[in-house]
Amino acid sequence: MAQSNASTRAAAKGVGMEVAFTRVFDAPRRLVFKVWTDPKHVAQWWGPHGFTNPRCELDARTGGAIRIDMRGPDGRTYPMTGTYQEIVEPERLVFTSVALDKAGNPLFEVLNTVTFADHGGKTTLTLQARVVKATAMAPQYLQGMEVGWTQSLERLDAYLAKAFRGEKS
Amino acid sequence: MTSDSLTTTFAALADPTRRAILARLVSGGASVTELAEPFDMSLPAISKHLKVLERAGLIARGREAQWRPCRLEVGPLKNVADWVEGYRRFWEESFDRLDDYLRELKTKEKKHGPKQRKH
Repeated sequence: MAQSNASTRAAAKGVGMEVAFTRVFDAPRRLVFKVWTDPKHVAQWWGPHGFTNPRCELDARTGGAIRIDMRGPDGRTYPMTGTYQEIVEPERLVFTSVALDKAGNPLFEVLNTVTFADHGGKTTLTLQARVVKATAMAPQYLQGMEVGWTQSLERLDAYLAKAFRGEKS
Repeated sequence: MTSDSLTTTFAALADPTRRAILARLVSGGASVTELAEPFDMSLPAISKHLKVLERAGLIARGREAQWRPCRLEVGPLKNVADWVEGYRRFWEESFDRLDDYLRELKTKEKKHGPKQRKH
């Protein structure tokens, strides 16, 4: 079975603890998969609220490279690289993500397995993240992101806009 | 904490038996025999797990008594919890944005029709 082979491979590559996140999206699986693998689309949603992605390069094929530079509302850049390990359209995506510090040194490396399950036009997305490597600076790096957006007025604007839209519909 | 020790902590936490041992230690220190009780495992096997946890700085073992009680060390766990919380937030917010973006795409498609054929 392809799936068990893949998870065995994934387990062999990552040695660390695993965390998982699940979300249901009200969109067909093909579309959700597409906005996960096309850099034009990924740049629109990747990262916390108030972040942009001035650089978003994805070579979505097995062995292909990932390079995303996120910019926080405070103007700070958060570079990240990675490699696609496995792509099964439109159901499964395995990739490594490596967050880098200013000097380009890896802060943490995670093996991400994303599965897209179809439920009558909706998509259940599950992301399993296995920590391969993490330096002592890794938690601070992620906390820095929060400092970025909590200080931002943009976040408040976005929140108000969203709340207003929600009220109308 | 050195660079590698957080990696070691994550690796130690990858095993369900070791996580169960830590969960047991939350309610207080225990001996190896006490820790082994709920598991279908030999004492040497449990001792091996304890060694991994000790190397990762997740537990400390008393020198005072012959049965060397184990207790939890919360420092490294806090670093792991911070990382997990940060990563969770990253994805929750990305998923929020993805949700909004998909809604936008669907509205556009309804208004103007699909831009191109799906293949």
